[in-house]
Amino acid sequence: MIKEAFGKGVAILEGLGTVFKHVFEKPVTVQFPEEFKPFAERFKGRHELKRYENGLEKCIGCALCAAACPADAIWVEAEENTDEERYSPGERYAKTYEINMLRCIFCGYCEDACPTEAIVLEKHYELSFTDRRDAIYTKEMLLVPPPEGQEDTPRKVEPGSFDRSIPVMEDPK
Amino acid sequence: MADTVKITIDDIEHEVPAGMNLIDAAKLCGVDIPVFCYHPKLGHDGNCRMCLVELGLPRKNRETGEMELAWFPKLETACTQKTCEGMAIRTTTERVTDARRAVLEFLLSSHPLDCPICDKGGECPLQNLTMAHGPGTSRMYWEDRMHLGKHVALGELIFLDQERCIHCARCIRFQEKIALDPVLGFDMRGRKQQIVTSSTPGFNSIFSGNTTDICPVGALTTADFRFNARPWEMVQVATICSHCPVGCNMSFDTRTDRLAGGRTTIRRVMPRQNEAVNEIWICDKGRFARHYMEHEERLTTPLVRKGGMLVEATWEEAIREVAAQLKAAGPNIGAVAGGRLSNEDLYALQKLIRGQGSGDLSAYLPNATGGEIAARFGVGVGTNLKYLGAGDAIVVVASDLHEEAPIWWLRAAAAARRGAELIVISGRETRLDVEASQSIRCAYGAEVATLNAMLGSLPKTAVKAGESLDGMAEAIVHAKEFTADAALKAAAKTIAGAGNAVIFVGSEGLTGEASRELAQASANLLAATGHVGRANNGLIIVWPSANGQGAADMGFDPGFGPGYQPVDKPGRSYGDIFAALADDVIKVLVIAGADPVYDDLTAEESIRKTKGFIVVQEMFLTETAKLADVVLPVQSAAECEGTYTSGERRVQRFYPAVEPLGESLPAWLITQRIGEVLGQGAPSVSAAVLLAEIGRNVPQYAGITCQTLAKVEEQFPDVGGEDLYYGGTSFQNVRGLGVQWPTLAEQVDAPLSVAPAQAGEVLEPADGEMIVVPVTLVYDTEALFFKTQLLHQRVPLPHIGLNPADAGRLDMVDGDLVSLTIDDHRVAAAAYLDERVPSGVVTIPRRLQTQGAPLFATTAPVVKLEKVEA
Repeated sequence: MIKEAFGKGVAILEGLGTVFKHVFEKPVTVQFPEEFKPFAERFKGRHELKRYENGLEKCIGCALCAAACPADAIWVEAEENTDEERYSPGERYAKTYEINMLRCIFCGYCEDACPTEAIVLEKHYELSFTDRRDAIYTKEMLLVPPPEGQEDTPRKVEPGSFDRSIPVMEDPK
Repeated sequence: MADTVKITIDDIEHEVPAGMNLIDAAKLCGVDIPVFCYHPKLGHDGNCRMCLVELGLPRKNRETGEMELAWFPKLETACTQKTCEGMAIRTTTERVTDARRAVLEFLLSSHPLDCPICDKGGECPLQNLTMAHGPGTSRMYWEDRMHLGKHVALGELIFLDQERCIHCARCIRFQEKIALDPVLGFDMRGRKQQIVTSSTPGFNSIFSGNTTDICPVGALTTADFRFNARPWEMVQVATICSHCPVGCNMSFDTRTDRLAGGRTTIRRVMPRQNEAVNEIWICDKGRFARHYMEHEERLTTPLVRKGGMLVEATWEEAIREVAAQLKAAGPNIGAVAGGRLSNEDLYALQKLIRGQGSGDLSAYLPNATGGEIAARFGVGVGTNLKYLGAGDAIVVVASDLHEEAPIWWLRAAAAARRGAELIVISGRETRLDVEASQSIRCAYGAEVATLNAMLGSLPKTAVKAGESLDGMAEAIVHAKEFTADAALKAAAKTIAGAGNAVIFVGSEGLTGEASRELAQASANLLAATGHVGRANNGLIIVWPSANGQGAADMGFDPGFGPGYQPVDKPGRSYGDIFAALADDVIKVLVIAGADPVYDDLTAEESIRKTKGFIVVQEMFLTETAKLADVVLPVQSAAECEGTYTSGERRVQRFYPAVEPLGESLPAWLITQRIGEVLGQGAPSVSAAVLLAEIGRNVPQYAGITCQTLAKVEEQFPDVGGEDLYYGGTSFQNVRGLGVQWPTLAEQVDAPLSVAPAQAGEVLEPADGEMIVVPVTLVYDTEALFFKTQLLHQRVPLPHIGLNPADAGRLDMVDGDLVSLTIDDHRVAAAAYLDERVPSGVVTIPRRLQTQGAPLFATTAPVVKLEKVEA
């Protein structure tokens, strides 16, 4: 009988021990939006359209991301580059680039499909809208600013200086 | 299948037609041999080496004397082989797959691999065959690849990417063998070899767009479609070209467009395969001249004249106004309808006008008539110009087919090259004369006399076939009055002796009456020699517009009702309608899809003079619309549905591709809404319902419904099927081949008769006068066509064609201003000296001069105009 009561008392103490252990632990609550949680290495958040180091857009408007998209969230319309008004290397650039974030399922197929590594799912996840229309992210919203010291697009360039759209590949090893 | 042979493909025996190209034969058996340079329409060239196979042919063993299969030691190109008995090929052995892999590695050694931005990417034979047969990697050094021009203009329409080109020469061969404009060629050799154009302006051919379709890579692209959309994004909508009577099957490839505010837009126009009509070709006018459909100047609201100005109005207001005017005018009304209107539009319009008791209906242009003769003696059902060859005859009379109906020109010229006798009868030399076996020059106005003389010259035995026809005896007696020279006799003999004979009846310089007689004369000649009532025989009228045949069928002819049914009281002809309008006899004139003020010298005067009420149904505020009292905005052929009847009497359906612009409505619906106010009944629910009504009331169209028009058959050679070797899925015809309605001559015991064809007066110019002939150019300044900026460079400047001898007499050189005075109208333009224009004649291109041109050939004083100092 006594043994039984003793056993219960130990169990209570064990339970209390767990409670008190956690009382003195560092809290897990993150004070969002003042504070951000660290991301997993492969976290897939909102997309960004990247630029080359020289500031030209990587996106060439090929619409392969739109073709790969299982949710039909991406819409691309292409136009022809000229040396007077150059957006990207090569002949083609995206005049319209839109992603409907309500449709996007953040699968990353667009990233896989992209031949120039222009579209990248980054770590942004603050996607809230008060209007469904605001869920459509336009090219201006997705495109990252040009690197420090580089001119924005479109820009006037020397004829013949950026006439290839696909980055130079290396010889197969 | 008398001449078939047995061949063995991959150890399986097949029976195939003898002498057929091995690639086509293998395809019939379900074996795909990959190709780049071979094209079933262009024949073999053997330069790409993609079709290498192991080939064995039967050979006699010299020792035993027995036949045995001997395999060639090396691989052979299948495209250069024709099927023969006992032939055997292997297409799946390791040697063959190795060879294909090697060929692809070689072709890709300098290919830029910029598929992501390439317009062909997604429907590219090179892409597809590389995926199927190619190596995964290349052993070539990346740095060694050629860096060449990516944006070389071969002209303002076609661009060449020299890096992508694999030198298959399909474009060069197309231009040489099919378009007969050998303006492309190879320059340099080896790795430096490039496609160049040798013409000025660059790539000067009206068929240039086809090279981009057959290009097996993305080397040739059109200015119209460069970076415009990806092939998989587009929805193909079947349509029919609305520019000429050939009725080419095309598709509008559409996609929504953010830049156009989310509207569906046409991204490109592609041919649809219909072997009986256009095979797989379309001309550049059909391909590029589509921009009017989405042009910003399109009318989007009805306009009503108030206080002398055309102001925007509601539909209700405009329709009420028109109906009130029609009601007040009673039977004193008329209609002029352009040939771009669909059968449904035309039927509704004639129903409205006839419903009010008037028969004053004219098709526009009014030159070509004779629809009822085509309904009796037109080409038989199943006609395909592709099957005309050696032993057959094609006659082209009074028409410049190259300008008026480019695809017919192409096919007539192809038939001539296959050995058909091509006889060209016209007042001046045209491009077809080069291909003709016999060119006959006749004076303008003497076309009927020429055909009559040909008929008259035939011996009794040659005209036996037509003996039993009513009126044939009289027609022959009448024809004997005309004398034939040796050339005409020879031509007549050729036609009489031909296995099949087709006559293209044009209307260059002819009045409506004269062209009817010309059609009659052609019908007499064909009927007498037994060339009617069966496939590949009969006449084809070269209408000046896409639906001229349909307009005639729907009763836009003073003498006939719909379906050529007789009318109690004949209506007025085109000229009489405008004369009556000027005299205020006609109180309301409806002008639909026509711009007579711009094209016709005299119409403007009548319209300005009249107190009558002018209603115009148009897409744009044309010169005619500017003078109208009410302008009703109609939809373009891309927005509504309907049917066109081609010159070969093939009824073909087009489908709506894009959303209607503004408040525009289909022309038939506007007409029927007016009719509703006048108590003619509620409008049809759809164009399809109206087509069913046409089927009930027009005997020729009985049984033609949307279902029958949508039927498809397997086409041979199948281009653009599953395999995607030949040029993309866009070629495949899945939405219907149309229905060719039978002529009376094909029906048993039909009341068929002919009549003597009355020759008109040959124009006799007085002193100081010359014969002025309006001619048609493929590229002109017509309101619809000229909206396409892309083709502006190809439109010639206003000019008047003149023989150098006449120019010498008038003391003129090329480019001098020449002036004609026709019925008090002066037309002045630069002289264009052309030896092909006969002496004593000047040609004046229609719809090129802002002052207009005469509708028919006439005589006028021609003088040199001294340059006016500015």
